[in-house]
Amino acid sequence: MSLILALVLTFVLAAMAPRLHGLLREASGWVLALWPLAWTIYLGGLTGRITQGDPLYIRYPWMPQLGVSLSFYVDGLGLLFGLLISGIGALVLIYSGGYLKKHRHLGRFYLFILSFMGSMLGLVLTGNLIALFVFWELTSLSSYFLIGFEHEREEARQAALQALLVTGIGGLALLAGLLLLGEAGGTLELTVLLERGEALRASPYYLPALILILVGAFTKSAQVPFHFWLPNAMEAPTPVSAYLHSATMVKAGVYLLARLSPALGGTAAWQIGVTGGGLATMVLGAIMALGPSDLKRILAYSTVSTLGALTFLLGLGTPLAVKAAMTLLLAHALYKGALFLVAGAVDHETGTRDVWKLGGLGPSMPITATAAGMAALSMAGLPPSLGFISKELLYEAQLHALHLPALLAGAGVLASALLVAVAGVVGLRPFFGHPVHRTGHLHDPPPSLWLGPLLLGGAGIALAIAPDMAASPLTTAAVSAVLGKPTVVELRLWHGLNPSLALSALTVLAGAGLYAAQPFLLDIAARARLKEWAARWGPQRGYERMLQGLNALATTQTRLLQSGFLRFYLMIIILTTIALVGSTIAIREPLSRWMGRIVDARPYELMIVVLMGLATLMAVLTSSRLAAVAALGIVGYGVALLYMLFGAPDLAMTQFAVETLTVILLVLVVYRLPRFTRLSGRPARLRDAALALAAGGMMTALMLMVLSAPLKSRLAPFFAANSLTLAKGRNVVNVILVDFRALDTLGEITVLAVAAIGVYALLKLRME
Amino acid sequence: MDMVLAIVVGGLYAAGLYMMMRRSIVKLIIGLGLLSHASNLLIFTLGRLMRGRPPLIAPGAEALAEPYADPLPQALILTAIVIGFGVQAFAVVLIKRVYQIVGTDDLDQMKSTDEL
Amino acid sequence: MRDLLLVLPLLIPLSTAVIGLLFWSRPHLQRALATVGAGLLLASGLGLLVSVRHGGIHTVQVGAWPAPFGITLAADLFSAIMVVLTGLIGLAAVLYSLGSMDAHRERFGYYPLVHILLLGVCGAFLTGDIFNLYVWFEVMLISSFVLMALGGERAQLEGAIKYVTLNLMSSALFLAAVGVLYGIAGTLNMADLSKTLRATPRPDLVLAPAMLLLVAFGIKAAIFPLFFWLPASYHTPPVAVSALFAGLLTKVGVYAMIRVFTLLFDHHAHSAHLIILVASGLTMVTGVLGAVAQNELRRILSFHIISQIGYMIMGLGLFTPISLAGSIFYIAHHIIVKTNLFLISGLVFQLQGSYQLKRLGGLYRKHPGLAALFLTPALSLAGMPPLSGFWAKLILVKAGLELQQYLIVAVSLMVSLLTLFSMLKIWNEAFWKAAPAEHSASLSRGTQLALFLPVLGLAAITLWIGLMPEPLFSLSEQAAQQLVDPTEYIRRTLGE
Repeated sequence: MSLILALVLTFVLAAMAPRLHGLLREASGWVLALWPLAWTIYLGGLTGRITQGDPLYIRYPWMPQLGVSLSFYVDGLGLLFGLLISGIGALVLIYSGGYLKKHRHLGRFYLFILSFMGSMLGLVLTGNLIALFVFWELTSLSSYFLIGFEHEREEARQAALQALLVTGIGGLALLAGLLLLGEAGGTLELTVLLERGEALRASPYYLPALILILVGAFTKSAQVPFHFWLPNAMEAPTPVSAYLHSATMVKAGVYLLARLSPALGGTAAWQIGVTGGGLATMVLGAIMALGPSDLKRILAYSTVSTLGALTFLLGLGTPLAVKAAMTLLLAHALYKGALFLVAGAVDHETGTRDVWKLGGLGPSMPITATAAGMAALSMAGLPPSLGFISKELLYEAQLHALHLPALLAGAGVLASALLVAVAGVVGLRPFFGHPVHRTGHLHDPPPSLWLGPLLLGGAGIALAIAPDMAASPLTTAAVSAVLGKPTVVELRLWHGLNPSLALSALTVLAGAGLYAAQPFLLDIAARARLKEWAARWGPQRGYERMLQGLNALATTQTRLLQSGFLRFYLMIIILTTIALVGSTIAIREPLSRWMGRIVDARPYELMIVVLMGLATLMAVLTSSRLAAVAALGIVGYGVALLYMLFGAPDLAMTQFAVETLTVILLVLVVYRLPRFTRLSGRPARLRDAALALAAGGMMTALMLMVLSAPLKSRLAPFFAANSLTLAKGRNVVNVILVDFRALDTLGEITVLAVAAIGVYALLKLRME
Repeated sequence: MDMVLAIVVGGLYAAGLYMMMRRSIVKLIIGLGLLSHASNLLIFTLGRLMRGRPPLIAPGAEALAEPYADPLPQALILTAIVIGFGVQAFAVVLIKRVYQIVGTDDLDQMKSTDEL
Repeated sequence: MRDLLLVLPLLIPLSTAVIGLLFWSRPHLQRALATVGAGLLLASGLGLLVSVRHGGIHTVQVGAWPAPFGITLAADLFSAIMVVLTGLIGLAAVLYSLGSMDAHRERFGYYPLVHILLLGVCGAFLTGDIFNLYVWFEVMLISSFVLMALGGERAQLEGAIKYVTLNLMSSALFLAAVGVLYGIAGTLNMADLSKTLRATPRPDLVLAPAMLLLVAFGIKAAIFPLFFWLPASYHTPPVAVSALFAGLLTKVGVYAMIRVFTLLFDHHAHSAHLIILVASGLTMVTGVLGAVAQNELRRILSFHIISQIGYMIMGLGLFTPISLAGSIFYIAHHIIVKTNLFLISGLVFQLQGSYQLKRLGGLYRKHPGLAALFLTPALSLAGMPPLSGFWAKLILVKAGLELQQYLIVAVSLMVSLLTLFSMLKIWNEAFWKAAPAEHSASLSRGTQLALFLPVLGLAAITLWIGLMPEPLFSLSEQAAQQLVDPTEYIRRTLGE
């Protein structure tokens, strides 16, 4: 219960953050960081019981009829993620306080970051599929506001929109997939679902659910070809890039895959989809990371690559692979977070993030350089860092894979070598490379800006040197959770001389070579016009084309349908009516019966009818407006006569009166209007006439169809019998109007009153 | 006779709809009027026609003697006629105001609210 | 006493309007009266809801003439929910009008007209007689005609022509359908029609009036391809009027469709369900694409009404208890959200002087409160959790998946993404982007209160439904149960 409360309080704190910032000013970052720190301590305290195999599970019904509960299931996987989210979150809050110190919207920034944190924590700690989706969407939403933080810049707005739309499509697919999974498994609760793995994999819903969930996971975790939003998300302020777009949010897809692997994993589809996608992303991301000159973009692409590696490992699914994945997860969060924060610090001090313009900052910014160095060490996978351990495990997992170990290992070496080069570019060159002439006195940034990177970078080293303190137990718990059975993980820096070590050595050499050769490689790429090719055919262009297509489609459709021409609107309605109603009409009676019914007409009735017909024709064809009005009047009077002849004298009187009024009214109004002219062309008139006749014919047919059956009025006998006795009136129609169905008459009078107000207002009130 | 009236109703619907699809707002009003006649006659006819036996209780009688014209459709039509008149009156004045402001009775010139 | 609850939703707006008319030229009194009347309407609606929740479907015979000879007023949970929503929206619109309506319109019967509109709407929700339904439709229609045209601005009049014509088409078709129904079944009471049509010796005749009513109500509800009157006219009158229309009028059409197809035609109209389902998908798509193409705030919102109507009738097309519950939930959610969005657009206009997106900007920076108030209904409309729209969408998607109607589910999800896209476009242009020109607007304290209070209230309800969806859903479920099995309704009306 306290877990839910803590989560709710996180959001409450977020809502209050702008106010708090107003009060606390400079100290707000430090103070607000206390809350995630509290979370870290709380989760850390749970480690004991979770490593014992006793996960925390609470359940709070939210929409029980749909099977949705706000349930929380904290096991090793959730714990690992939770600690990362809250721990790094605290450091990011402190950092933001310093980085955005003078920003007018810093209060709102805290609001969004804290909301994000709450959403992300909810995501990794929840035990219900739909609750997970709720938090998933909330992270996308808070990410939108954070990417677009510099909202007055068009690039930031576009990047935010792109991120939200791409992850949004994934989100929708995810929703469908999760619901299908729920259908297949009979429940939306993760704990139950994960036990039904066999049944799920055999279900007909498996494949569609898997594909949909994969779309969701791949878009969120920036797998190829959905990766393009991540580099663009670098428009966000650096703390956001560090927190969301490297350490936590983008890992949500990885989390999902890890979480669902007991249920969905192991099948051919899973292996091909997840492993294949991950492998491709790992390699492509790494290759693309050598291209940009903006520090953050380089880091973004390398994140894509690591996300690919994580996905790949989860796709393999072997215990060794999962061990590698969890270790890599931890290592990457630490070093990438540190590197991003360093990039921000450098930007803060030097004013640029261009890798070719930075160099030799080490002496002036020793603390930052140390942090960068440690993080780069981990990224390059050199001992004694956690990154090294994770890389060794990665190679081991690849070498022990069932299929194509050589190919996998080769791809792994390629990607890792590239990452070594990248580590050099971002961690080595700016600080320890050639000094680039800079003006102004450079120094380390304030503590708020170096505390985070130092702690994170340092952790990457410390956890490797003394793994059993924290790293081993955490990964043990996580791996056990993912595999669904207790598995002990012992992380060691030295595994003995084995193929993995050899590959590591190879990687470092290759990486160093790539680092040195980078300018040369970039030159080749420029000559081969790779950038142009990617811009024309890459997924980013696909996204842009889709948006353009959408807008074009929308505009075309609107111009077509909502053309502004009333007659087209009418035509479509008439056509629809004919289609829908016409299809229900089927006339049964033979022709002879119909003839009989005409014959029984009296001559004077026929005369009236003929007169009405002629008048109608005149109304339609005449070009004199007054003649048309008169013709309408004749039609009305004809109708009145018919009423009279067929036993409806009251009706006839009313009709006469109303028709007269109508004619007078029309004449008064129409008198000053111009003569009718032939506005439409002949084809249009023929088309309209055909349509109108079809509609009229349909109504006739409908009436004949109804008339073919006898009618037994259920109401008339009652009125006939009771009109005098109960309602004291001899004129049954009147009695119906004022007594039996008086409510109708009330409405009718109201209509008249309103019409009167309307006429008065139209005539008197003229506002322009 | 009900078949004849069915044809009449069909004809009135056709004429009304045709007039409504014209470009002049005055023809639109006339079309609406024809449409309203059509609907009323439809109700009347479908209530089954009965010549010359209005639903009036004769003096001395306590109830209506069979056969009689069904009073209910008549009541319905009465209500519909009055409602229709109210609405039509408003529509007519609306047309007039539109003409005064827009300066033409051509509906094709009145598309501004739909322009993209 | 219980009977009074059924009549109050009609009596209150009528009296308010009539007394208001007596004070034709005293706008101050009219304002007070209108507010009190709207508040009382909401209260009576809530009372009715509680009564129906605990006591079951409630019916009253007007004039004590037994059914089916007299007119029945019937309130099941669906009707009661709709009446409550009417009261809520009526109050919101009246409050907003207090701060925004110009004195000219107020002197020409604006407030009484609003209440007659509310009368017509409540009458439609509470009647159990098909011709009486027609009469209340006409009451609602004529007052909406007058409100639409009140003020006589050119855009209003041009929009009004299309609005009037197409809605009169709808009335004509409705009337024809009533005539056909009487010609087949000989009765007008809806419960009695249900019984009679079920047992009719000529089932082949039943589909025709069903289709006529589908088109007639479809025009009113603005489904595809009958919606053209809406985007042509809804954005022309003053905002309070637009908000009132947007929240209520189309929903009366949806209500009538649901009522008619669950009560009258449930037995013979399976093909109708398929048609409705297809129409729902097309409505969703054409509506949202229309919104994407627009660049004026109110026009965007008008097209979204159409798109969202598609969701509401999707539940009807699927025709299971859960899908109907979804429809009802969606209707409730949407009424609140849509009205709120229109009111907010009015606020934007008050602050920046335009509805055109390219002339707006900088609202996020200057008015963060308004930004938050906009986001709540906007994101809810797009189905973003944890707001009301998410649950509404979820229920319908689940209902669709259960019936294996994957196409409509996929369409509904895609459309929600496009809805999000459209809302973000407004957010981008009006809030995030820098203001193109400085526009200073200051609103008096009283005006601010009148304008912000309804917006805040509606947003709070949206958030509350999002965080605690269970009560509304269980209400909707019960209402849907009553719809799917009309036996109780018929029993309570005809009394056997």
